[in-house]
Amino acid sequence: MQLLWQVLVNGVLLGGLYALMALGLALIWGVLNIVNLAHGALIMLGAYVCYYLFTGFGWDPFAALPVAMLVLFCLGYLLQRYLLNLVIRAPMFNTLLITFGLEVVITYLAQIAFSADFRTINPSYAGANFPLFGATVPVVRILAFGVALALTVALWLLLVRTRIGRAIRATAQNLVAARLYGVDPRRLYALTFGLGAALAGAAGSLYGVVSQINPYIGAGLTAKSFAIAIIGGLENPLYVLVGGLFLGIAEALTALYIGPTYTDVVSFGILVLVLIVRPTGLLGRTA
Amino acid sequence: MKRTTLLCLAIGALMAAPLYAAPIELGASVQLTGSLANTGRYYRDAYQFAVDKINSAGGVKVGGAHEKLSLKILDNQSDVNLSVRQYVQLVTQDKVNFLLGPFASDFALADSAISEKYNIPMIQGGGASDQIFSRGYKYVFGTLSAASDYFQSTIDAIQKLNPAPRSVALLYADDAFDVSVADGTRKLLAKTSLKVAVDQRYSSKASDFSSLLSVIKSRNVDAILVAGHETEILNFIRQAKSLDVNPMLYSFTVGVPSADFRAALGRDAEYAFGMTAWLPSKALKDDYFGDAEQFAGEYQKRFGYEPDYHAASAVADVEAFVKAIEAANSLDAAKVRDAIARLDFDSLYGRIHFNSNGQIGLAQTVVQIQKGKLVAVYGQKGFIEKPLYPMPAWGRR
Repeated sequence: MQLLWQVLVNGVLLGGLYALMALGLALIWGVLNIVNLAHGALIMLGAYVCYYLFTGFGWDPFAALPVAMLVLFCLGYLLQRYLLNLVIRAPMFNTLLITFGLEVVITYLAQIAFSADFRTINPSYAGANFPLFGATVPVVRILAFGVALALTVALWLLLVRTRIGRAIRATAQNLVAARLYGVDPRRLYALTFGLGAALAGAAGSLYGVVSQINPYIGAGLTAKSFAIAIIGGLENPLYVLVGGLFLGIAEALTALYIGPTYTDVVSFGILVLVLIVRPTGLLGRTA
Repeated sequence: MKRTTLLCLAIGALMAAPLYAAPIELGASVQLTGSLANTGRYYRDAYQFAVDKINSAGGVKVGGAHEKLSLKILDNQSDVNLSVRQYVQLVTQDKVNFLLGPFASDFALADSAISEKYNIPMIQGGGASDQIFSRGYKYVFGTLSAASDYFQSTIDAIQKLNPAPRSVALLYADDAFDVSVADGTRKLLAKTSLKVAVDQRYSSKASDFSSLLSVIKSRNVDAILVAGHETEILNFIRQAKSLDVNPMLYSFTVGVPSADFRAALGRDAEYAFGMTAWLPSKALKDDYFGDAEQFAGEYQKRFGYEPDYHAASAVADVEAFVKAIEAANSLDAAKVRDAIARLDFDSLYGRIHFNSNGQIGLAQTVVQIQKGKLVAVYGQKGFIEKPLYPMPAWGRR
């Protein structure tokens, strides 16, 4: 019982981080209809920004996180404005190809710039923990979970409450109508991609604190983000949060009861099941 | 008409040119980019270093002449399928004389099928899985000792510790090398009084070990043995700390001997046990580099990072070809193959002498990270330096 409780806590904390990873992917996918295969590479870049601020300037990783978000926002904005906007009306297959190409380019540039050495963001409190009803709760994981939760809610509020959020949702629902009401889609797309990239930057910073960084972590993170976005649904950031938590808990329980070698089988098995049974995601409205 | 003839002659000459160029060419497909690039670089750099050193010492004596060695390395991008295609290319298009290996067992397992098919000898220093050598292949030789024996010296050492650990957790990734390690370790553990409390396979590239660590913690395991990859082991140690898992010792097949692994973990790397078949010692004499210590110094100076056993093993592969070609006094693949099988010489890596299955037998020295340094604690003759044991709990470091 004690063990089950501990594993559930682990799963929830992992799920929060998963959700943050997938959030940017789901936003860009939902609004721009681009499945950004370079999403994991952006997460990796965010991790390096945080790493260099931490090791080079001694910044606390949680203070470096907003900077990583800002840097990634700018990068994302420019990528969309000057590259992806050129193909935004092309069939989805073309955008898949171009983001796949971006992933490869970013990864190889990262190896040249940062080398293939393994890095960790390792502040003094990285291993601290506290007991919670008999379970051990790692401090950085709960902090990461808190940041993930806060950013998810912030994105949700942004989409629901603000003018720009309404414009983003309007564009996603009906481009023609949105243009008639004065939305400039090119600028809005760039802004949305920037937001998605910024979320990747935040996820990367947290990932570097709880795990390890090298130029090749991206592809695996993209796959995981993709599964979470599908499982949760694209319409609402809160759905993505549910998708992340669901997957985190499912993986933790799989590792406990079936064996850790099967976690990927289970998570991608769930993805297939969801696609068959509820293609709009666990919480998404059925068509 | 005349012009056409001249053109034909010129083309003919060009086609024939490669036959006279490139004296003795060694070919390899190595992970220069991709997820294994971090270890792949040892092979790229060590192969090149060995070739340069041998050439500056006069090259290879064959047929009464001194021939230079040349090296052709292709980048397999850490992709097994691509590496197989590249070995086919090296043999059929580039027509290299002999093959050096890639890094990692699953690569060597697939790539050695090419050397066997074309009857071109491959000496590889990157794959240790017993599977590579259990297929009756005649053309593949390996300079890493058998995966199934990796934990032998560690288990010997564990039993002599005071207080002796009573229970063990065995964790391993689901690839060719680590499965071989686990199969061998399981047999070794069965001969001891140690109780195997956890025996779990996990998926390669796993980044979350929290469930596994929680199980280990709940069963109060004394010793943890992990066969995996460096990235997984980094995550494992960091998460052990954050979940406050405190065994008396843990030991890892890889990572501990390499400098950037220790740098990535910083103080959290302390007390971790590992193993290496090679340490840069003066006692290991070498015909080209003097001794292993000199080699390590020159390597560090030239490439800017410390060599570990991967690099030493790679140098031994190149030297083994040179010795075998000189012994066979021929570049004929079958003759060189037989000469390799008969080799027996001392190198900076250790004694090179292949068993009948093509693999080498070298004992693993148990190492531990003590105050940021790699310290040899247990070898064939017993304890070398005092191990720091049991590990203090994370809260009391």
